[in-house]
Amino acid sequence: MALFSGSLSAVEQGLIYALLALGVFLTFRILNFADLTVDATFVTGAATAAVFITNGHSPALAVLAGGIAGALGGLITALLHTVGKIDPLLASILTMLGLYSVNLRIMSGRGNISLIRADTMFTPVREHLGTWASVGLMALGVAGVIVILLWFLRTDFGLAIRATGDNPGMASSFGVPNNFTKTVTLMLANGLVGLTGAIVAQYQGFADIGGGTGLILAGLASVILGNAILGTRFMVLALVGVALGSVIYRLAIFLALKLPFVQTTDMKIISAGIVVVALVLSQSTTVRSGLAKLSLWRNKSNLPEPMTMVPNPFSPLASSDAVLTEAEIRSHNEFEPGQSTARTTSSTAVLDPPETGRPQSTDTDRPSAGTAKEEI
Amino acid sequence: MLSLTDIHKTFFAGTVNQRLALQGINLELEAGDFVTIIGSNGAGKSTLLNVIAGTIPVDQGQIRIRDRVVTKLPEHRRATGIARVFQDPQAGTSPHMTIEENLSVALTRGRRRWLRPGISRSRRQRFREELATLGLGLENRMGHRVGLLSGGQRQAVSLLMASFTRPDILLLDEHTAALDPERAELVLTLTQRVIAESGLTALMVTHNMEHALRLGNRLLMMHEGRIIHQLGPAEKPEATVDDLLGLFTSAKGMLSDRTLLN
Repeated sequence: MALFSGSLSAVEQGLIYALLALGVFLTFRILNFADLTVDATFVTGAATAAVFITNGHSPALAVLAGGIAGALGGLITALLHTVGKIDPLLASILTMLGLYSVNLRIMSGRGNISLIRADTMFTPVREHLGTWASVGLMALGVAGVIVILLWFLRTDFGLAIRATGDNPGMASSFGVPNNFTKTVTLMLANGLVGLTGAIVAQYQGFADIGGGTGLILAGLASVILGNAILGTRFMVLALVGVALGSVIYRLAIFLALKLPFVQTTDMKIISAGIVVVALVLSQSTTVRSGLAKLSLWRNKSNLPEPMTMVPNPFSPLASSDAVLTEAEIRSHNEFEPGQSTARTTSSTAVLDPPETGRPQSTDTDRPSAGTAKEEI
Repeated sequence: MLSLTDIHKTFFAGTVNQRLALQGINLELEAGDFVTIIGSNGAGKSTLLNVIAGTIPVDQGQIRIRDRVVTKLPEHRRATGIARVFQDPQAGTSPHMTIEENLSVALTRGRRRWLRPGISRSRRQRFREELATLGLGLENRMGHRVGLLSGGQRQAVSLLMASFTRPDILLLDEHTAALDPERAELVLTLTQRVIAESGLTALMVTHNMEHALRLGNRLLMMHEGRIIHQLGPAEKPEATVDDLLGLFTSAKGMLSDRTLLN
C-alpha cells in the first residue's frame, strides 16, 4: 500500500517535472540547441517563488515570478549566443555558472529557504496530494500546457522557430530572423523551467541552491524516453511523449530506490543510470523496431523516426546539419549524390550544409522496413 | 531592379590564403532579366550570389534592389525581395517539417510572423494548387515530411517555395548540379516555366554551357572575380557552346598574361 501511494507521488512529481521536460524539448529538439541553463534557471525559479511567498505574496504571483525569472536566465544564454557568438553549450554553461551567484543573491545568501509553514499553492489541497484526484488535476494542467505549445508551434511564428532549428540557412533565406527566434525559444523554455522550479519549491516545501543539479539530464531522459515510445512524427505525440517520459523517469527512480541494497543517497547514480539506459536503448535497432511494431501509427507512416537529436552534448550541435541522415536518404531515394556526374561541392562552400560536424546519431541502425521507394 | 556597383570581396585578406573572390563587379539588371552565369571553379559565381543575398558582406561597393541600397542589410531582411535555390537539394527545405509547413514558411516571406495559424484551410488550398503545377503529385502528400522526398522532388519544392511568392529577384546557384541528368532536366524545365510565368528577375549559376545558352536572355562569363564577357539579348540567341569555349580560352590566356604582368 505504501508502495502504491508512493508511486502516485512519483507520478505527481513526474507530471510537475513534465513542464521542465517540455522546456528541454523546445530547446534540444525544436531548436536543436544544447541548452544546459536549465540546472540554474530551475533554482532561479524556485528561489524567486520562495522569496515571494515568504514575503507574503500569493502563490500564483510567486509561480508567475518564478517563470519570468527563468525566462530572464534563458535570455542571458540567448544573448551570449546571438550577440556574443558563443557556442550554445558553452554559453549555457557560462550562464549556469553565473546564475549560481545570482540565485544565492535572490535567496539573500541562504542556501535553503523553507516554505513548510508558509501558505503555498498546495496548502489548500495538502491532504489530497498523493491521491488519484491530485494526479488527475496535475495531468489536466500538463495537458493544458501541451495544448498551448501545440497551438504555438503551428503558428506562423512557431513554424519559423521550427525552421530555425531544422535548417537555419533555409530559414534565413526566407526572412526568418534566426537570432530572434532562438532568443524567444530559449526564454520560453527556461520560463517553463523556472515555472517548474517555482511549483516544485512549493510542492517540496523548500527551495534549495543545489536543487537543480542534474535536472537537464532528467529533462533529456524524459524527452528521449517519451519520443522513443510515442515517436516524433506527430507533434502532439512528441509532446505527450515528453510528459509521459517524465512520469516514467520519476517512477523508475522511485522504484529503484525501493530496491533493498539501494540507499537514498544513491539517487544521483540511479538518475545517471536511467539516462544511460534510455540513451542506449533508444539507439538500439531491436528495441526501436520492436516499438515500431507495437505502434500502429508507425506502420502507417513511411518514415523511420529521425532521431537525429539523440543529444550528444559533446558534439557541435550548433552547427548540426538540418538534413536527414545519409542512411535515411539512401533508403528512400533512388537518387544517389555520388552517382551524379556533376560537381557536387562548391568551392566557396559558405552556404553548403556542413557534411562534417554532424552529431553522432543513430544513422546506421535506423529501421528502414516498410519504406516506399520514392522518386520523381 | 538590381544594381551592383564596383563590388569587391576578398577572403582571408592579408594571409597566405588570400583570395580575391570579386574584383570590381558592375552589373545592372532590368525587371524580367534572366541572366545565366558561367565560369570555372573559383571564378566568384557563388560568391556573387551570396553577396547579393547578403550571406557574405562585401568589402567595397554598393548593392541596390529597386533603387533601395541594401548593402548593409542582413540576409533575413533582404530575403523580403530575394529568393534562393541552393545547389544542395537539402539546403532549401526543412526536412523534419511537412511539405505544407515548409510552404507556409515560404508564404510568410517578407511578412511579420505572428500567432496566426501557419496552416489554414485557405492556405492549404493555395498550397495544393501551387504543388499541382509541379506535376509531381506532391499535392496529395502535403502532410509528409520533406526529408522523405528524393533530391529532385526536394529541389522542385525548393524552387516552388522560392518563386511562388513572386520575389523581386530569384537566385539559382547550380540548383541542378546535384541531380542526375533526367531530374536536372525536369527541374530546369520547371525553372524556365516558373520564371516565364511570373516574369521573375533571375540569376542562374551553372556549369552546363548548353543550359546557360538555352535559358535566360543574358549571359555573364566570370573569371577570377571579374565579369570577363557578357552576351545581351541580341547576341545570346546566336551564340553556341563552341563560341563560349573559344571566348573562355582566350579570356583565360589574356588574364593569366595580365596576372603575370602585374
